Amino acid sequence: MTTVIFRRKKCIGCNYCTEIDPKHWQMSKKDGKSNLIGSVDKKGFWLLKVQDNEREHVESAAKVCPVKVIEIRD
Amino acid sequence: MSSKVELMAPAGSFEAMIAAIQGGADSVYFGVEQLNMRARATMNFVIEDLPAIAHLCKQSKVRSYLTLNTIIYDHDISMMKVIVDEVKKAGIDAIIAADQAVINYAYKQGVSVHISTQANITNVDTIDFYSRYADVMVLSRELSLNQVKQVCKAIQKEQIKGPSGKLVEVEVFAHGALCMAVSGKCYLSLHTQNSSANRGVCVQNCRRKYKVIDIEDGHELEIDNEYIMSPKDLCTIDFLDQLIDTGIKVLKIEGRGKAADYVKTVTACYREAIDSYYNHTYTIEKAESLKLKMREVYNRDFWGGYFLGREIGEWTNVSGSQAVMRKIYIGKAVNYYAKTGIAEFFLEAYGLKVGDKVMITGPTTGVIETVVETLHVNEEGAKGNAEKGDYCSFKTNIQVRNSDKLYKVVPSTIDEKQLAN
Repeated sequence: MTTVIFRRKKCIGCNYCTEIDPKHWQMSKKDGKSNLIGSVDKKGFWLLKVQDNEREHVESAAKVCPVKVIEIRD
Repeated sequence: MSSKVELMAPAGSFEAMIAAIQGGADSVYFGVEQLNMRARATMNFVIEDLPAIAHLCKQSKVRSYLTLNTIIYDHDISMMKVIVDEVKKAGIDAIIAADQAVINYAYKQGVSVHISTQANITNVDTIDFYSRYADVMVLSRELSLNQVKQVCKAIQKEQIKGPSGKLVEVEVFAHGALCMAVSGKCYLSLHTQNSSANRGVCVQNCRRKYKVIDIEDGHELEIDNEYIMSPKDLCTIDFLDQLIDTGIKVLKIEGRGKAADYVKTVTACYREAIDSYYNHTYTIEKAESLKLKMREVYNRDFWGGYFLGREIGEWTNVSGSQAVMRKIYIGKAVNYYAKTGIAEFFLEAYGLKVGDKVMITGPTTGVIETVVETLHVNEEGAKGNAEKGDYCSFKTNIQVRNSDKLYKVVPSTIDEKQLAN
């Protein structure tokens, strides 16, 4: 399993993660930041476990994030 | 005589905001979290700070403006509206915007709008266009003095008025960082780092060194000046009289990402220059001495920008700041004795001695600069110097608060190693 960690507060709403990995990311119309679909909030760190075969997709989102608020962990 | 031009200073934090007020700004501008051109700056305010900012500025008789000047996507609209609504509720004086969505919404809500330099206004017809929405407009940074003058003249002649019914006021950047892109519309950062300058996350790759390589034979071409994309900082203090004479109404200082001491120094210098213009004591000697003072804080060396109609920009020849002074953190405030005006500090990093020039900064204190005249160390009473790890106290005469930071101000040539010896 792979864990995606998203520091949502620091997101600047640039939209790149949703463009590159729309399966896991969606822009919130409420506050203009990105949502990590299906994730749980742990004190500001939004966590989502994904299958290893999806790692490539979530990694691509982490790579394009200009403010580096997406982290991928084993 | 018409009223004085307004001096607008940047504020990336409460510390810098107080520093701007102490420096004599007539107004301050700042951003909150996302939608502003310094989104990466850790110093941004949050929406919840707006009432406190409005209160502080009203109390200090300083106008406050919120920048909301990135490009806006569909998913940003709700947040943008929330920010504009909060600006109105808190009593912030205006928003600075470039995107038509923001301009339109703010106008409809009755919030005053300033058109940002990002809108790239370069002619009087564009001023006429935006005059339906805004009373203040920032011109493009690429115009010459003469072009600025023509625009101001035309506003008078054609009686172009904003929503308030008054003539549109023209604002220009007077001081601070410039970039090589027209009105900041640069995609370099986006291309190389996926980090869009137009969303406020410019990585400033233009400030780095580059080589030109011939793809066919691999030859690297040498360029005399290696920082060919990094202009020097704009400085207008030595032709401020000409700039004011163009008919502009607002002078803006760039630098929401800059430290409080920078904001105070630059604001104070322009305050003095503006005041001297109006009381007829502005001279080139005075301007030069103020310019020298500004060299003490962060700068990439100075040039007059495009105002003087030069064909090509002046580029920096070293990386980063060329400031002649620097500040080194030495400790924090632990106590202040109001009756005697004495502050006590814990020296965490380095020692201190009598005669040292120091600076104290804090979110309520702003920036205090002073020279240590007498020094009391621990329980030992008056001494010539205090070591790292000591508690020491000296007269500041101005109130400092617990946890305010104490810095030693030294020539840039001195590094931490020399300080430790």
